[in-house]
Amino acid sequence: MTPLLQIKQLKKKHWDVQLKSELFSDITTTIERPERIALLGKSGEGKSTLLRILAKLEPVDSGQVYFNGKLMNEVDSRTWRMNLCYVAQQATMLPGTILDNLMISSKIHNRNFDENFAKQMLIEVGLEHLDWGKRAIELSGGEKQRIALVRSLLLRPTILLLDEITASLDQQSKELVEQLLNKHHQNEKLGFIWVTHDREQAKNISERIWYMENGKLARDIMTSEFFDEQAIFQSQVKL
Amino acid sequence: MSLLALSFTLLFVIITMLVSVWQKLDLEKDIAIGTIRAAIQLLAVGYILQFVFQSESVLFIILIICFMIIVAAFNAAKRAKGMTGVVWRIILSIVTMEILMMGLLLSLQIIEATPQYIIPLSGMTIGNAMVACGLFLTQLKRETESSKGEIETLLSLGATSRQAVQDVLKRSVKFSMIPTIDAMKTVGLVQLPGMMTGMIIAGADPVEAVRYQILIIFVFTSSSAITSMMLSMLCYKKIFTKDLQLKDWR
Repeated sequence: MTPLLQIKQLKKKHWDVQLKSELFSDITTTIERPERIALLGKSGEGKSTLLRILAKLEPVDSGQVYFNGKLMNEVDSRTWRMNLCYVAQQATMLPGTILDNLMISSKIHNRNFDENFAKQMLIEVGLEHLDWGKRAIELSGGEKQRIALVRSLLLRPTILLLDEITASLDQQSKELVEQLLNKHHQNEKLGFIWVTHDREQAKNISERIWYMENGKLARDIMTSEFFDEQAIFQSQVKL
Repeated sequence: MSLLALSFTLLFVIITMLVSVWQKLDLEKDIAIGTIRAAIQLLAVGYILQFVFQSESVLFIILIICFMIIVAAFNAAKRAKGMTGVVWRIILSIVTMEILMMGLLLSLQIIEATPQYIIPLSGMTIGNAMVACGLFLTQLKRETESSKGEIETLLSLGATSRQAVQDVLKRSVKFSMIPTIDAMKTVGLVQLPGMMTGMIIAGADPVEAVRYQILIIFVFTSSSAITSMMLSMLCYKKIFTKDLQLKDWR
């Protein structure tokens, strides 16, 4: 069976060419089916850059990415992004109202706007009270982030690439977002790769961990195994 | 104006130089070069125009207009450092505007089909279009940088290059037209335009001079709109790589 996503020998140099070192290299891994993956690692390891490369928003220096057996460079960028949709850490609201933001993917792709689906998702992320006619720019940071997530889910991608999307949310909203994405994984077969620094969150939202360290994909294992290893390591340090 | 009277205008240059020396502005060399260049360029243009007006040759008119367009394009393209192939796009935009404007003016017999009308009017509209192109490119660069989040959000949702920059282009075109629209609103109240003033000084009837000035202002508005919109349509793809990623435009 063709894997859903295959990453082979991915390499990216630092944006500052004077540094002459690689941001990361030899990133090789496979996703067989829509999975929930938490991407962990210290700041500056290139986690966001990896997501942006997977979304085809940034060029790669070498290596290949395949989606459903098709090479990234051979697939039209728009088609690629409809399947692998990136959600940025800093949610950007498009000019206009909340409704304009929610309807944008249906406008772009000339599809009918699924109002009930949008309503349902807004209830699930605690934004049912919002007036859809309100200017999107006037929303709080947390509200913008949740609208951005719903906006991307309305595109119905195969894999969501989530870049620390709950960093600016309170605990309650964070849990609502986690529940929404877990539900979509279960019901809609949505896969996601979620960059987070919150280990507790990683436990809640993933079955697999990608851990980046020293410019490599140092660990690529099941979430339970990863945290078992961490627990053993920490107990050894204490001894 | 006699040559003697003209030579007295050098007094103004001398005053400027004295101010520069007094205030240690260190502008004397630039003022001297500017004065010599302005005098030579304008005198040369005067003699060339005199020759062309007398010859009434269509070829000379076209050559002069082509020269104006090329100089304007190279000058406006300086605002788009890092963007390749922008000169011919500006040329195409200005040529389209020039054909449309002159076509309308001549076919509706608003102006006479003589070099005396065609060359000065072309010069003014091409100059105005050059400013509009420069402003459009400057703003496009600024908007692309400041709206990176907006553009990438749209790209992430599967937008085409056109869809991703539609608002950025609108804002840039609007910006490029601000001077023309502001000038149209305040003309006669804040400033007396050069062409009208020149005609009045040369002895023309002020009402006749105003009529031509109204013509010029309307032509300016339309020429900057046509040129900016055309340039925006020709340039927006240059912001992206072939993979529809934003170029690092520095």
